Amino acid sequence: MAGIFRQEWGRITAALIHQTGDWDLAEECAQDAFAQALRRWPGDGVPDRPGAWLMTVARRRALDRLRRGRTYQAKLEELAVTAAREQDPNAVAAPDQDADAGDGGVPDERLRLIFTCCHPALALEARVALTLRTLTGLSTAEIARAFLVPEATMAKRLVRAKQKIAHARIPYRVPPASALPERVPGVLAVLYLVFNEGYAASGGDDVIRRDLCDQAITLTRVLTELLPAEPEAQGLLALMLFHRARQAARVDARGDLVTLEDQDRTRWDQAEAELARRHLATALAARRPGQYQLQAAIAGCHAAARTADATDWPRIARLYRHLAELTGSPVVELNRAVAVSMADGPAAGLALLTRLEAGGALAGYYLLPATRADLLRRLGRDGEAADAYQEAAALAATGPERRFLEARLAQITGSATNGG
Amino acid sequence: MQYLLIHAGAPGLDDAWDDEAWAALNAWLDEAIGSGVSIEGGPLRMDADATTVTVRDGRVIVTDGPYAETKEQVAGYDVIECGDAAEAVGWARRHPHAWMGSVEVRALAGGGSAFHLAEPPAAGKTRYMMFVIADSAESAPPGPAQAWAAEMSGRGVRLFGSALGPAARARTVRGKGAAATVTDGAAGPADQPIVGFDVLECADLDEAIEVAAAHPMARAGLVEVRPFRALGED
Repeated sequence: MAGIFRQEWGRITAALIHQTGDWDLAEECAQDAFAQALRRWPGDGVPDRPGAWLMTVARRRALDRLRRGRTYQAKLEELAVTAAREQDPNAVAAPDQDADAGDGGVPDERLRLIFTCCHPALALEARVALTLRTLTGLSTAEIARAFLVPEATMAKRLVRAKQKIAHARIPYRVPPASALPERVPGVLAVLYLVFNEGYAASGGDDVIRRDLCDQAITLTRVLTELLPAEPEAQGLLALMLFHRARQAARVDARGDLVTLEDQDRTRWDQAEAELARRHLATALAARRPGQYQLQAAIAGCHAAARTADATDWPRIARLYRHLAELTGSPVVELNRAVAVSMADGPAAGLALLTRLEAGGALAGYYLLPATRADLLRRLGRDGEAADAYQEAAALAATGPERRFLEARLAQITGSATNGG
Repeated sequence: MQYLLIHAGAPGLDDAWDDEAWAALNAWLDEAIGSGVSIEGGPLRMDADATTVTVRDGRVIVTDGPYAETKEQVAGYDVIECGDAAEAVGWARRHPHAWMGSVEVRALAGGGSAFHLAEPPAAGKTRYMMFVIADSAESAPPGPAQAWAAEMSGRGVRLFGSALGPAARARTVRGKGAAATVTDGAAGPADQPIVGFDVLECADLDEAIEVAAAHPMARAGLVEVRPFRALGED
């Protein structure tokens, strides 16, 4: 039942928000419908079309509450205005009415909801919180735990976001086709942020974090279905699937990070990697490259290598160069330096790294000294490497990362003592 | 001459606004409206509901929040018509915002003006205050904005607006009665002066953003859009 819950929550809230214009009412009625299902289905059995059942119950509840409220007439007027505005000829065509038999005959409103939650006039953290709350059914408490803030803080963040939508009249709609190129990246950025939040700290630290990865993938998949013409959505999905395919091998029994080169590749999920490859191929066929497609291609190179030695590093280095040109991101430049060091030797990589460090862009980012340490180690400059590992460990944010760096430091200083 | 009063207050303004402030506001409105001094005015949503728009390298950049983080937040405005700056400052001193926060007094310049607006707004429309902000202490020439203003007024999305006199010649009132101070200069940051304002009436924030992004200052500075606070809304 948890699976049905997860699948249907976003669909139902999206439909109710569209029909009533009331975000809080939508959430509450969805909650009521699921509560009823939990009471009735164990005895009555799960209905043939659970989505339709839930949708019908939720809608009835919403209508009921609206009728009782004093604001009924006002809402009707508001809805009339919304409906009139919907005759916008520039609007993206609404998804098929009968696209999915499980939806209770209601069109999939989730696209509207995703774009509204990810509107650029909302602060990024508000977009993330609202997207998770309305589209995944994660509770406020669960979202707060995932992002390491108190529940009251997250609750306030959600209230503020909904208030801004209401006060500033952020429209509840899919942007017109002409605006999609500037709006889709914002949605993808939110979904990728959710994924990374789960991915970066996954590995036994918290069940919630693993769930974030799954939720991000689910939502991105929905986006690819609702926006089939957007190759970057496919690219992002491919990227996430490639990452998740490696999940089982990323962390060892003690909860410590295992580097890519040391991972047991037999534990990689080949089926998931194959699915990722297919999504990437679909994306690339559109001939509109973008940052997520490039990142997915890089991840795909790793996934294709049966052993670390078989990795096509020159190809990866080229892909990072394209990505750096596209995004101008210093983190990408850092990854490129690593790839170049693998393709052309650590000295070449160190040269790029030194240039990057001179720019000052990544000051305070632990991976910068960590990478420098690694390259110095490979060049046999152990003393300098030890200093750099220490610097990196001091900057590392999480337990697994710090332990990994301290282990490397121990190796280096151990060998320095032995050799000295 | 017309003057813009920019009312500001701390984030807790709503809770702090007491019976005395209400009484003072009612008295101010009675006097200002009765004597024909008040042209237009009303409460504005505060910083959490504001949106800032810039255009850089041809791309529209939309960010949540006001054009600058300041201790006091814009909470309302009035446009008044009176003889000179001293009189305008006198009206600002009597407004409860003077002691609930601050009131900045700016002369309207460059031929712009305000007038009484129809109430309520057209069906399905929302009104926004648009502030035009330069990104340096020198105020920008008003020239290029004329074309924008004409186009937007023609479309019906701009109700009125004006360039403002230099920020350095603004007067800001803080405090009550005899204890009130009147300082030279604007209330906001000196390196990001408000150089103009417009009142917009749009279908939704997307339209307001589109209108704001078209303003020439969006490319050279910033434009902030914040919704009116409708009567009866919490």
